[in-house]
Amino acid sequence: MLSIKDLHSHYGLSHVIQGISLEVAAGEILGVFGRNGVGKTTLLKNIAGWVKPSSGSIELNGQAIGGIEPDAINRAGLAIVPEDRRIFPGLTVQENLELGLLGLKGAKPASKLNPVLERFPRLAERAKQSATTLSGGEQQMLSLARIMVAEPRVVLIDEPSEGLAPMIVAEIFAIVREMRDAGCAVVLVEQNIHEALAVCDRFVLIERGAVVFAGAAEDDAARAALLEKLAV
Amino acid sequence: MESYLHYVLAPQMLNGLALGISVILVALGLTIIFGLLDVINMSHGEFYAIGAFGALALSLSGMNYWVLIALVPLLMIPLGIITERYLIRRVYDGADRHVTTLLVTFGLGLILEDILKILFGPNTHRPANPLPGATDLFGIVIPTYRLFLIAIGAVVILAVTFVVYRTRLGAIVRAASFDRNMAASLGVRVGWVYSGAFAFGVTLAGLAGVLLAPVYSVFPTMGRDFILLAFTVVIVGGLGSIWGAVIAGIFLTQVQAISSLVISPVWADPIVFGVMVLVLMFRPQGLFGRMGHA
Repeated sequence: MLSIKDLHSHYGLSHVIQGISLEVAAGEILGVFGRNGVGKTTLLKNIAGWVKPSSGSIELNGQAIGGIEPDAINRAGLAIVPEDRRIFPGLTVQENLELGLLGLKGAKPASKLNPVLERFPRLAERAKQSATTLSGGEQQMLSLARIMVAEPRVVLIDEPSEGLAPMIVAEIFAIVREMRDAGCAVVLVEQNIHEALAVCDRFVLIERGAVVFAGAAEDDAARAALLEKLAV
Repeated sequence: MESYLHYVLAPQMLNGLALGISVILVALGLTIIFGLLDVINMSHGEFYAIGAFGALALSLSGMNYWVLIALVPLLMIPLGIITERYLIRRVYDGADRHVTTLLVTFGLGLILEDILKILFGPNTHRPANPLPGATDLFGIVIPTYRLFLIAIGAVVILAVTFVVYRTRLGAIVRAASFDRNMAASLGVRVGWVYSGAFAFGVTLAGLAGVLLAPVYSVFPTMGRDFILLAFTVVIVGGLGSIWGAVIAGIFLTQVQAISSLVISPVWADPIVFGVMVLVLMFRPQGLFGRMGHA
């Protein structure tokens, strides 16, 4: 579904991504782990089109999406839930969700919001409120719900549990599982390693912009090696 | 006292309101372009002048003024789209984009001003007033055209605020204004939104030019004079704030109008700019928040 080959990316003179290659299949969650500043978020920004790669290829179902505009990448079926949620504070909850309709091909009926509002009843109750009035957990729900409207095929999620209470984190990871079960390919960047390993199918460890270790989440030896490398 | 109110203060305030509405139309374009593109359009005054000259040229060819009010703004749309696509966008993603877009639009303004001089000469023109005479409004006598100016300006301002704050298109514009990347990743065609917003801002400037042409003189440097006040309104109201532009536009032009009654009119502009300095000292971000922000 999502295939990245020998990706390189720079911020000015800083070589942030140094030849990353990875694949994520439909119905699979790939955990991307590593310490702060190793290039995890930059990797997601390259895939989503927010940062132009210096070289390498990014393909979604065989379609090259590397370096094209974020809206075109969205129409190809990829969505991103960024680190700081990036909800639109000047808009209501409903308006934030309706923006998700733009990712739909063809007609964009408001009725497409109904399944999402049913899944997130707290957002339905607060539909007319300004998005800024939501709690941190509700804002994260909104950020996830907003992309679910367009039923993307690939979802990039960056640090969804950051700063949230354990109960909310559990709910968020349950939603991530639902996405996977619906056939979505999910790339999950997360610092909360233990929680993330419980939902991931595979993982990669990034150091200095390169994948240095990879394994299956069910493989006890691989998990132990990962935790040792991260000194968790 | 009553006669002072009826024959001096109220007409002066209504005249100030007519000017205020016109300034708001220009300032709205400026603030929408800044709020969305983060570009200070230094050529905005020249687009206002183009609107006025467009009305002048077409009216000389015999076209009805009421048709011009709709036609000239429509003609401004492609001009705005071309400017955004082929000038602004070329420098938009550069490292020093605030400086480069400022210089590019400043240079464009100089070129447009010179083109107007070449085409129409440096002299002042005065199109015929389509609504001559005065109207008695509850005992207050005001030139009919200025009354019309207030009415049509108010309708346009209300329509703009309605579209921006109450429609899905407006939500898209506000979202793109707040976070370009996130909006694009949800499917917003940000390039189109930017072109459309720039063209819309330029169209509002052109409309203000058409509306003011019968009131003020039409000359190639008219934009330079008028834009100073519009910039003041945008700075006081808050860069990128639609409501800020509306309220600051009315407030500052009323300050200008009323102060002219008690002190020499030559002090009206220094007072208005003094208000701007005070606002910058105590509230540098302006009175209201930027479009798309909470």
